[in-house]
Amino acid sequence: MRPAAGWALVLGAALLAPACAPKTETVAATAAPTFDPKDFSGTWDRYPQPLEAGRDPSTLKIPAPDAIPPPPLKPDFKAAWEAEQKVIAAANAAGEPIATGYTHCLPDGMPAMMMAMFPMEVLQTPRQVTFIQEAYNQVRRVYLNDTLPAVEDAEPGFWGHAVGKWEGNDFVTETVGIKENVKFRNTPHSPAMRIHERMRMIDADHFENEVTVEDPEYLTGPWSWKWVYQRRPNYKMYEYVCEDNREYADPKTGKARLRIDHD
Amino acid sequence: MFDSDHQVRLAGKVTKFEWQNPHVYIELEAPDPRKPGSKPRTWTIECANPGILNRIGWKFNMIKKDDPIAIVIAPYRTGEPAGLLKQVKLADGRIFGNGGPAGPPNISIEDGKPLPAAAKP
Repeated sequence: MRPAAGWALVLGAALLAPACAPKTETVAATAAPTFDPKDFSGTWDRYPQPLEAGRDPSTLKIPAPDAIPPPPLKPDFKAAWEAEQKVIAAANAAGEPIATGYTHCLPDGMPAMMMAMFPMEVLQTPRQVTFIQEAYNQVRRVYLNDTLPAVEDAEPGFWGHAVGKWEGNDFVTETVGIKENVKFRNTPHSPAMRIHERMRMIDADHFENEVTVEDPEYLTGPWSWKWVYQRRPNYKMYEYVCEDNREYADPKTGKARLRIDHD
Repeated sequence: MFDSDHQVRLAGKVTKFEWQNPHVYIELEAPDPRKPGSKPRTWTIECANPGILNRIGWKFNMIKKDDPIAIVIAPYRTGEPAGLLKQVKLADGRIFGNGGPAGPPNISIEDGKPLPAAAKP
């Protein structure tokens, strides 16, 4: 399925080639296109995988993306965000982490689900591109050549409303309508937040996603970073129902605790 | 929540194996080696989730009630009988970790003695 368009070009070139063309040209022509740059379908892991993170970056075939920068929050919100980051870091350092949305069985929502914490499946059909994240069974539908609702009219949700279009070989999306309690990196946002993505295939087995978040109420300017994914061939996604989390948030301290059923 | 610096080896009998999200749990009846002569207790052992464990070779039915197993855990900081799994040795001798996020054991699954890597600063 993947290389259909590319192979058609190769076949066409081969048919047009003169019969006396040297063998080397034929080999070069058939070896060139190895993937369809407009086909993201398949199963993917985030790249590089965490276990690779300690490796010398120069040994990676595809450069690792830069660390995500802190959000460019307006001064009114920056101090509170920084103070919260310090509390979280201190709790982690003490081995007593603060409970998160995961503790309450809540999914990431956008844009966090696109970090691909667990494997991610992409399905492409004529009207939509669908992203499925194994963790928490998250499904995000990006409708092609559709219209976004105005932000004041967008019903808030975890994954919001998303449209996509092709600009050359780039798949460009725009997302609005994220619930205010769905926060990426504990960053507050307003109903006017917009998430822009630009995805492109790097090679047959990697694609990148340039993410830019804009929010005129909370941010001084765009907040941008890049995620990269690597193909996980022939992987079958597992189901994920957050059925019974024995971890819970201590109502007094907010720290994660473990329910013990027997003693 | 769990203390990876003071890992504990437990050996005992499985009383429950719960294969579900967001965590797999093993309940294990075993004495606390930190309290010699103490009565066996039922420990709650948190593992990664089925997806992570499947990807490193676990199977949903590889641990069953009454199986004798040995485990290395990072104990729950409150002192209650619980912990985060670092490594498990099944009755048939196979040894499995608990996936990348849980981290490796720093004591031996065989005898609870420090592993050489743990001596590093």
